[in-house]
Amino acid sequence: MIDLKQVTKRYGAVEAVSKLSFHAPKGQIVGLLGQNGAGKTTTLNMLTGYLPPTSGQILVDGMDMLTQARECKRRIGYLPEKPPLYDEMTVQSYLAFVCELKEVHRRAIPAHIADIMQTCGLTEVHGRLIGHLSKGYRQRVGIAQALCGDPPVLVLDEPTVGLDPRQVVEIRQLIRELGRKHTVIFSSHLLPEIQQLCQRVIILHKGRMIREADMADLTDTGDSLRLRASIALDEKQLLPSLKSLSCVRRVKALPGIQPGVSEVLLDCTRDASPDPQTQLFRLLCGLDAPLRMLVQERDTLEEAFLRATSADE
Amino acid sequence: MLSIWKRELQGYFFTPVGYVFMGVFLTLSSVMFYLTIMQQRSSDLLTFIGLMSYLWMLLCPVLTMRLLAEEKQRRTDQLLLTSPVSLGGMVMGKYLSAVTVMLVTVLLTLLFVLIVGIYGQVYPGEMLVGYLGFILQGCAFIALDLFISGCASNQVTAAVMAFGANFVVWMLDLLESSISVSFIRDILSFFSLYARSEPFLMGQLSFASIGYDLSFAAAFLALTIHVLDSRRYRGI
Repeated sequence: MIDLKQVTKRYGAVEAVSKLSFHAPKGQIVGLLGQNGAGKTTTLNMLTGYLPPTSGQILVDGMDMLTQARECKRRIGYLPEKPPLYDEMTVQSYLAFVCELKEVHRRAIPAHIADIMQTCGLTEVHGRLIGHLSKGYRQRVGIAQALCGDPPVLVLDEPTVGLDPRQVVEIRQLIRELGRKHTVIFSSHLLPEIQQLCQRVIILHKGRMIREADMADLTDTGDSLRLRASIALDEKQLLPSLKSLSCVRRVKALPGIQPGVSEVLLDCTRDASPDPQTQLFRLLCGLDAPLRMLVQERDTLEEAFLRATSADE
Repeated sequence: MLSIWKRELQGYFFTPVGYVFMGVFLTLSSVMFYLTIMQQRSSDLLTFIGLMSYLWMLLCPVLTMRLLAEEKQRRTDQLLLTSPVSLGGMVMGKYLSAVTVMLVTVLLTLLFVLIVGIYGQVYPGEMLVGYLGFILQGCAFIALDLFISGCASNQVTAAVMAFGANFVVWMLDLLESSISVSFIRDILSFFSLYARSEPFLMGQLSFASIGYDLSFAAAFLALTIHVLDSRRYRGI
C-alpha cells in the first residue's frame, strides 16, 4: 500500500532521514519506533505529502506522491503530532469542513460525519466548540478528522502522547479497531504500545532504518534457545561442564543471589538432539547438582530495540 | 478552494476580526464623509473615495494577518497541505475570502452615495470608475498583505510587517515628489499604488491602471504560493 524507496530528507546540512526504504502492506498496523529525534515525524510528514523528500520516491497504492499528489493524498488520513484543529469551530462543522476538503460528496457528508463521530465516541460533544474540549477529546477529533473521506491508509503520529492512562487505553483500542479496515502507520517511542498494537515494526535511529521485521520475528531469538537456570553448584565447577555440552554455544554467569547457587544464561542451538533441556538435565544428574529453576527466555521488544540501536553505534 | 473560502469567511464572522474590520472601516469613512461631503456641502464623491482609499493601507493587515500566519502557528497547515487541495487553490481560497469581506464593506459604503444622491447630484459613470479603482486598490493591498502573512510566523508579526509594507507603498508616493533624479522618480512612481489610482479619481477609466492593479495582485499571489512551496522544501 505504501512504499518508500531510498527516501532522504535534508534540512540544510542536517540529514533528518537518510535513504529510508520500507513497505507497509495493505491491512496491517505498522509501527514506527525510535527515540526522540530519530526521524519519525519527518518520515510521516513526507509520506503524507506535507514535506517533499530531498531525494527518493514515495508510492501510495502504486502512485507517486510527487507527480500524483492529489490522488495519493485522497488515500491518506493524517493525524499529525499536534492535531490540526480550529478552536473556533464546533466538532461537527470542523468535520464537515474536512470532509469538503477531502472531496466527500456533499449529500453524503452528514451521514459520514455521524458515522465517524460514533466510531470515535464524539457524538455527545458534536455541538461543542473544539477550543473548549479536553485533551483526550481533542485527540479523538484529530483521529476523526483523519477518518474523513474514508481513506484506506491512516497515518498517526504519536497518537497517545500526553493522554491520561485511561484515555491511552481507549485510543489504543480505537486504533486496533481501525486496523481491521485500514492500513495504519503510527509512530511511537513507547515500546509496549508498539508491541500491543503492531504486526510489523520499523526501528529508526538517527534517521536511518536499522531493523524492519514482523513483530513475531523481532521478539523471536531465531535458531538459538535461551535458557536461564539456577543450579546448586559452585560456578567454577559448573561452567566448564556446561561449556562441554554439544548444544551450548555460550554460557554467561549472572550475579548469584544465594551463595553456592549459580545463575547462568545459556545460549543453545534450538534443534540439537537430544534437546538442550534434556542434555542439561542429564549433565546435572551426573554432577549431582540440583536444578532450582529453568526458564526459557524470549526477547522483549525492548531488548531487540536496544540491541538494534547499540549495534548501530 | 471553495471549502477554504467558505471556512475563512465563516472564520471572519465567528471571530471578531470581520466585525472589527467592517466597524472600524465604516466609522472612519463616516468621519471622512462628514469632513469632505457634509461639512463642505459638496457632492464630490471622488475626493471622498480618494480619502477612503487610505483606509486600505491601515486596515488590510487586519483582514489578512491570520490567514496564513495563524495556520502555521497552529499547525493546521498540516491538514490543508495533506488534503487533496493544491497550494494555489488554498491561497486563492483565502485571498478571495478576504476580498469578499472587503466587497461587502464597500457595498455598505454605497449608503454614502445614496445620501449624496438624495441631497445632491451623483454622476453614475464617474462614481463607478471611482469605485472600480477603489476596489482594485483594495485587492492589490490584500494580495501584498497576504504575501506577508505567508512569510510571517505569527499573527502579530504578520500585522506589523504588513502595515510596514503598506506604509512603504504609501511613502513611495511622497518620496517620489521629493527626489529630483528623474529615473529614480520613475521607478518609485511605477511601484506606487496611490499614483496608479489617480486617473480613477479624476473619473478616467484607465486600462493601464486596471492592468497594473490586477498584475500587482497576481504577482503577490504567485509570490505567496512560491514562498509557501519553498518553505515546504526547506521544512521550516
